[in-house]
Amino acid sequence: MEQLIEQLKSQIIEALNFEDMTPADIDTDAPLFGEGLGLDSIDALELIMLMDREYGIKLADPKAGKAIFQSVRTMAEYIQANRTK
Amino acid sequence: MRIAITGIGVISAIGANCDETLHSLLAEKSGIGSMRCLRSVHTDLPVGEVPFSDEELKRMTGTGDEPMPRTSLLGLKAAREAIGMSGAPFDAFISGTTVGGMDLTEQHWLDYQEGKAAENIRLHEAGESTNAIVRHLQNNQTANVFTPSTACSSALNAIMLGANMLRTGQAKRVVAGGAESLSRFHLNGFNTLMILSDQPCRPFDANRNGLNLGEGAGYLVIESEEDALARGAKILAYIGGYANSCDAYHQTASSPEGEGAYLAMKGALEMAGLQPSEIDYINAHGTATSNNDASESASVTRLFGVCKMPAISSTKAFTGHTTSASGGIEAVICILAMQHGFVPANLHWSEAAEGLIRPVTRTEHIPLRHILCNAFGFGGNESALIISAEATELSKGKMIKPVLVKTINDQMISDQMIREEVSPAEARRMTLQMRRIVAAAKRAMKETAVEMPDAIVCATQYGCMLQSMRFLQDMIDSGEQQLKPTPFIQSTHNTIASLIAILTGNHGYNATYSQGRQSLACALLDIETQMALGQIKTALVLKFDEEVEVWDRVLALVGEKTRAVARAYVYNKE
Repeated sequence: MEQLIEQLKSQIIEALNFEDMTPADIDTDAPLFGEGLGLDSIDALELIMLMDREYGIKLADPKAGKAIFQSVRTMAEYIQANRTK
Repeated sequence: MRIAITGIGVISAIGANCDETLHSLLAEKSGIGSMRCLRSVHTDLPVGEVPFSDEELKRMTGTGDEPMPRTSLLGLKAAREAIGMSGAPFDAFISGTTVGGMDLTEQHWLDYQEGKAAENIRLHEAGESTNAIVRHLQNNQTANVFTPSTACSSALNAIMLGANMLRTGQAKRVVAGGAESLSRFHLNGFNTLMILSDQPCRPFDANRNGLNLGEGAGYLVIESEEDALARGAKILAYIGGYANSCDAYHQTASSPEGEGAYLAMKGALEMAGLQPSEIDYINAHGTATSNNDASESASVTRLFGVCKMPAISSTKAFTGHTTSASGGIEAVICILAMQHGFVPANLHWSEAAEGLIRPVTRTEHIPLRHILCNAFGFGGNESALIISAEATELSKGKMIKPVLVKTINDQMISDQMIREEVSPAEARRMTLQMRRIVAAAKRAMKETAVEMPDAIVCATQYGCMLQSMRFLQDMIDSGEQQLKPTPFIQSTHNTIASLIAILTGNHGYNATYSQGRQSLACALLDIETQMALGQIKTALVLKFDEEVEVWDRVLALVGEKTRAVARAYVYNKE
């Protein structure tokens, strides 16, 4: 799990173009949207695409992302449970 | 001055001319179905396709073997009908588009890599796709050509510029509207935003789940009532009023309260001197996305009040969302509805939801004196046009030379300026050249204390080409699979002007022109007419282009290359 979390942080930084950030700068349990990283709906689409590309998870409804993308940890847990690659 | 509409022309999935379109509307016959001409892997997505191949359209328009983007073929077909109906030559042709020649570019991309099909390359530009239409329209008659590119509100902005030009004596007779073909590029782009439905779209329905893309073209011929009467032309309707406002909220989504849409509709009513209660019908933008329909409902309800809501429908369940052409096609639909006294049905609606407009679901035969037509675009480029059965007196203006009070040019933009003006959070999705233009714009406004200019207008030959080419390359390499949304979101020509409005909270006039090396002249004419008419006092004008290596390799086939430009100018009326 910890390994997946670290990997996911790197992938998020790359997918969302956080140029000056390292995985250590992201708090695993901090909210991704609103406070914390301050992501928006475009980022949500990028995260949905990231899960598709890297883990073979397809989300048909973008609204379903809300619960999954609460924090890096919730996202990692969802990936662990649903990944197809 | 009274602006008369003396010609209309249209082509879309529901008809190749006005008669066919009228027939389909009255028969409640949708044009949405499976794709036949578009060669995309996403065959499960319904589209509102014009049921003719490029070759058939070439035969219908008599353009022979000449390479023509599909956008231009559709535009030519509709423009000919409008001009034929009006029956007189024009001196300005204003056609909104965003796709331009992208359909040829995506078809020939691999040929280009092998050094072939060079004759199509120049047609990629939005402005060139309009020039290609005009070349086939008039012999020995010159016309000023403009290509507004504000995504899905492009055609309404074309009509507005046309009206402003008539009112300031910059043109005698204008053909204005828009043209847009389907392309794999924007089908895939909208798909990455997860806003395409796999069923026929259901505007304003509680269970709506996205839009269907469509294509086509629609134009109006407009001139002064005086000129129209003098030559014995038949007047179909009048321009009542119009306005453009930026939502200044988000690059693709509308704000929950629809502030930009509200301001645009309110501005149009004010220009027309009408009370909301005098509007008989609203042809809504109504794309059937969750976001648009909720936001548009909020803004319409705020302006009209729940009890006094006029008849409303979206005709996108007929045509699909014809993006840059939608304002032109829907303005023609409004005029047909006015001439024949009916409200077109909002097809496929079955369930109401709280806060959502309740549309007219079956054709309603009522007289229509004033119609409001909405078109909203990415970046919050919102526009509204009022079409009236009776003449509206619009003020005239005498052209003035605006005063250039500040220029920030390429050489003046330093890394330090970018750091000072663009925060890391803002910069995250921008290419370097985008950061440069945003920094230049913000600095220019600061140094002139014009922090909230009345208008932001961008001139660009290619638009945001770096992101466009990224998306195109990814789309072709991946076979249209697993594409990233951000490059698409940033690919539209209006990205820069709308982004600056979003970053500075500017709800003023917002537009973008893409007319090759004439782009800046188009942008300046726009602000000059508006200053002459007293609509604006201050304007931020931007000139933007990027150097794009992958496109330069293609352009090399015709001995050209892209040039990076980032300049910001502040103009005052005096």
